[in-house]
Amino acid sequence: MVALVIVLALFFDFTNGFHDTANAMATPIATGALKPKAAVAIAATLNLVGAFLSTEVARTISGGLIREGDGGIQITPVMIFAGLIGATLWNMVTWFLGLPSSSSHALFGGLIGAAIVGAGFGSVDFSVLLSKVVFPALLAPLTAGLVAYIAVKIAYAVTKKRQRNGFKHGQVFTSSLVSLAHGTNDAQKTMGVITLTLIAGGFQATGSGPEFWVIAVCALAIALGTYTGGWRIIRTMGKGLTEIEPGQGFAAEASTAATILASSHLGFALSTTQVSSGSVIGTGIGRKGASVRWRTAGRIALGWLITIPAAAAVGALAALVALSGTVGVVVDTIVAVGVIVGIFVYARRNRVDARNVHDEPTVLVRPKRSRKQQKQDEKALRQNGGTK
Amino acid sequence: MIDWSAFFVVLVATVVAASAVVTLYSLGLRLVDRSGDRPAAWQRPLGIACFVACGLVVLYGVYLVIPYFHR
Repeated sequence: MVALVIVLALFFDFTNGFHDTANAMATPIATGALKPKAAVAIAATLNLVGAFLSTEVARTISGGLIREGDGGIQITPVMIFAGLIGATLWNMVTWFLGLPSSSSHALFGGLIGAAIVGAGFGSVDFSVLLSKVVFPALLAPLTAGLVAYIAVKIAYAVTKKRQRNGFKHGQVFTSSLVSLAHGTNDAQKTMGVITLTLIAGGFQATGSGPEFWVIAVCALAIALGTYTGGWRIIRTMGKGLTEIEPGQGFAAEASTAATILASSHLGFALSTTQVSSGSVIGTGIGRKGASVRWRTAGRIALGWLITIPAAAAVGALAALVALSGTVGVVVDTIVAVGVIVGIFVYARRNRVDARNVHDEPTVLVRPKRSRKQQKQDEKALRQNGGTK
Repeated sequence: MIDWSAFFVVLVATVVAASAVVTLYSLGLRLVDRSGDRPAAWQRPLGIACFVACGLVVLYGVYLVIPYFHR
């Protein structure tokens, strides 16, 4: 069981990596500041380095969302297993749809679902859910958007048009900073899950930190995921929300980096994914002549809204099956692997990779549309002064 | 329930930091540019100073990211 949880946790870490490449690298890829392959290589390296730099893992898996420990419930490896299934499957679905959604929220959602089934509604602290997850999720894109709006106004007021290509060089640094910040945050989640599972399984002393091999494999899994690149999400963020010029990209990344750093150091944690989407939209509003595609933005927001309930539903279902015994765990594993492979195979039908990442994301966010509708959309887009 | 004062501090810090980075970098770009109508001699060094200052802000960001430095 413990081995199974570790494998699943690492796969979750991998999906986390390729889900979040877009946060740092969508804008430099979109403006041509970095070649797609080079961008994901830099992001992967910095995520790897970042994971080793910061190994302070949380003492609770859910950060207080679930009443764990003394006087609360005991989170068993089976529940963690079910929660991870919920989180991983939801990450796969959103990746397929090209939606940048928060991997932490998916993990929380999966665990909440599993905990409700495993230990009842009382096990979830809904006030913490509201104050630590729901409100920050509303504030993150607004804050980042406002800051990015100001930043892009400054950038375009100070520079003349012919000078703005120079922002491309700056983008390399700001996006790297976002990547590094991401690496120091996100691999820790999986390290925490694995370490707490090992403790729960009696393989490690209570209260001890992560073993070196845990740190190493988590770092590798997230770096590998990042290098694989969530091209679908990169395309949504880089091309789907608004057209990004170098000056905008620089302003967006500077805002993203500033927001993440400030929020994680001043005790008001915000989600990286939501911050960077907000920044991109903010620069789209701020630059004259840029238009924001609110339909795409709305779809992304909807994705955020249902991330926790959806992951919770899958987690709950998985827990229901898994708690019935060994057979249930085997059934869960087979179904989960089947769905994951299915999504990968289905995704090959409209592949998005380093070569076509610059195409318009018309097929991407809405995979099932008729040819006619697609033409209409493209026409509407052109009329909006949308593309080149 | 929600810590508004903490949020406000974060908001102000973010605006200040992002504006500083963008202003410095933009000024640098503008001052270093030589394709325009004959820049004064002081412009280029000042532009480079802007880039350096911007780099320092970013380095401070790296410092904040790595917990090893401030424990």
